Amino acid sequence: MIFRPRYFFGETFSGLRRNFLMFFTAITTVAITLFIVGFFLIIVYDVQAILSSVKSQVEVAVYLKDNATDELKSYLEQEIKSWDEVSEVIYVSKEQALEKFKQDNEGSDILKEIQGNPLPASFEIRLQSPEKVEQIALRFLTKDGTYIDGVDEVIYGQNYVQRLFSITAIAGSIAFLIIIMLLLAAIVLIYNTIRLSIHARRKEIEVMKLVGATNWFVRIPFLFEGFFEGFLGSVISVILLFIMSNYLLIRGEQAIIDTLKVKELAILGNTNVIMYIYAGIILIGGLLGLISSGFALKKYISV
Amino acid sequence: MNMIEFRNVSKVYEDKTVALKNINIGIKKGEFVFLVGPSGSGKSTIIKLLIREIPVSGGAIFVAGRNICNLKNSRVPQLRRNIGSVFQDFKLLPNKTVFDNVAFALEVIGKPAYVIKLQVPQVLKLVGLEHKLKSFPHQLSAGEQQRVSIARAFVNRPPILLADEPTGNLDPVNTEGIMKLLSRINLIGTTVAMATHDKNIVNSMRRRVIELEEGEVIRDQKRGVYGS
Repeated sequence: MIFRPRYFFGETFSGLRRNFLMFFTAITTVAITLFIVGFFLIIVYDVQAILSSVKSQVEVAVYLKDNATDELKSYLEQEIKSWDEVSEVIYVSKEQALEKFKQDNEGSDILKEIQGNPLPASFEIRLQSPEKVEQIALRFLTKDGTYIDGVDEVIYGQNYVQRLFSITAIAGSIAFLIIIMLLLAAIVLIYNTIRLSIHARRKEIEVMKLVGATNWFVRIPFLFEGFFEGFLGSVISVILLFIMSNYLLIRGEQAIIDTLKVKELAILGNTNVIMYIYAGIILIGGLLGLISSGFALKKYISV
Repeated sequence: MNMIEFRNVSKVYEDKTVALKNINIGIKKGEFVFLVGPSGSGKSTIIKLLIREIPVSGGAIFVAGRNICNLKNSRVPQLRRNIGSVFQDFKLLPNKTVFDNVAFALEVIGKPAYVIKLQVPQVLKLVGLEHKLKSFPHQLSAGEQQRVSIARAFVNRPPILLADEPTGNLDPVNTEGIMKLLSRINLIGTTVAMATHDKNIVNSMRRRVIELEEGEVIRDQKRGVYGS
């Protein structure tokens, strides 16, 4: 078959003109459904970012006894550093602890009551995998349930850490489910609309088949049209998302950054997640239009 | 050699309706044949089988010496380009003009624009509608609409023209016009097969008549009339 761009584009666009209502419906369907998908993607991404930032702030504080020798301390530090789950170990001496305490409580009456230095030295352990916090903490205990030599107490927020992790796990799977369901709804809606617009032109297909058009000749204008509808609809949804992000969501994210010090958000993060979301939506829109047309045509094209 | 040949063709539809039972028909090049018989006798089935809209259940159909029953799906468009078909309901596209309706048939088989510009006015002149190029189907009478559909079927100059009750929706005056047109197309050398149950047409034309009843050929007569 000879490729005839003039015929195919001509048919595509005259098809669009003649069936403006169907065309309009298909585009708005794509635009609205993908807009909702994109909006949820941004929200879900931000919620995940907040949760993982909170998770990464989980740390283990190992308070040392005042009588622990320097050798014991450096032995402990080496030991902790050798654990895979640990990303960073900071030694805070008694003096540094006092200094920080004074800074934190500047101007407060409590400072006057302090005599000498009651604060212990400590190791602050940051974790590569925050979920392992309990296992790490357990390593400072002997079999009898007492702490190992030189360690006075280990604190890691025993009460809230487990709850935090189960909340993030549940939130993660709910978010995943929502996105999948929205995407499925979008696929069904877009497929149905495009199928309707093809059904409206079944007479044309019948005539084409009757006068001996090859299947590809029948198919190509419809595929173009489906792709074009999906593409245009997704571009509109990206424009809507862009406006929404830059005038509304961005303020929410600024507030999150100011209060929670979360860095990697969808719009304001420096990995440009929002751009990937935009690109993904346009890709999905075009592909959905194309594939929907292909599937919807099957019924009308069989010889 | 026969242009169209049915050898022991039978057709049973999916709902077990038997439409044709062991039909044998031979139609020579340039012949004009009426297929007559009551509704459900198998006339339309013969036309649908010829353009491979439906498959046979048994036997073989030859068009210009080729068995079309074992034609690959990808070759079916080629078959249809050689068979013009006309129907009772015209099958015109309502949102295209007369010119575009006919041109569409050439466009979708990939004819270049200059061929379309040449052939469409020619065939519309043949059917007597050269002055209505820009009209839309709803602006035409039923007879004129059927002329457009004949023009579309014939614009590619196929060697065979099939007509399934082409005058079914027309008054006597328009019917006569359509029959004259089909005769003229036949005179050019086109093999024409027309299914009808219009007694008057068959009787006045005196052409070959193949009569069907309950899926069987019960009469095949040269220069025949409707009833035996």
